[in-house]
Amino acid sequence: MEGGINAWKGLKAEGAPQSGMAYFSPAAKPEELMALAWYLEDGAYKFYSEMTEALQDREAKDLFKELSRAEERHKVSLLRLYKEISGVTSDEGFPRSVITPGSEGDVMEGGMLVSEALKWTKGKKLTEILELSLSQETNSYDLYVKMRRQMKDQRSAQVFQILSEEEKQHLERLSSLLEKKI
Amino acid sequence: MSILNYFKPVSTWPAEKVRLFLKEKNLEDYNLVDVRTPKEYEQGHLPGAQLIPVGEIGDRLSELDPKKPTIVY
Repeated sequence: MEGGINAWKGLKAEGAPQSGMAYFSPAAKPEELMALAWYLEDGAYKFYSEMTEALQDREAKDLFKELSRAEERHKVSLLRLYKEISGVTSDEGFPRSVITPGSEGDVMEGGMLVSEALKWTKGKKLTEILELSLSQETNSYDLYVKMRRQMKDQRSAQVFQILSEEEKQHLERLSSLLEKKI
Repeated sequence: MSILNYFKPVSTWPAEKVRLFLKEKNLEDYNLVDVRTPKEYEQGHLPGAQLIPVGEIGDRLSELDPKKPTIVY
């Protein structure tokens, strides 16, 4: 439901920019999916890093710092998997050689621009920022579950399985913090 | 192909459409799911909504009837 509970109560629902988009590309090749996932992890990394600096709340800062590090690790896992699958030995070129980055700037889950998301967070309450992050992690989890299903080889499926489980843990951590801060 | 080509808009219903739908149908005709936290649910939720926090959805999909339309908020 558009606007969630706020819209139901007749309140103005101010959603995050571009939040009404979802990944959709069933015909994509495994290499493309890896490159796409890498870009989205990079976007999330940038968003979480900025939040680590911007937020005052100690628990939130610590969690965002941890999340940004996790997204960095995911990028490394995706690059390693890409090299294994494609036979490419150099780190150079990926992911640009597979997918052209958008001219609009860095992108996060749901096609949301990192710059727009950061602009949106200005003046927002911590709970609202946590909700936006939750929607990001939900999309990441959903994306990796879909990618895992699309992977034909066991090794790739296993990597996406691990990534989806980690995103689910992030989701749970963010949910717990949100519950505490409400 | 640019990265944004991998996304498409997700269709959503405005609150008024949901209100009308719930008024016209019986509770048995649909799945109505609140994916927020338990505390948010306690503070107020749509009549008849079932609480399934977003992190639990993957494990609790069997609680939803796939033959019925599902409204999520």
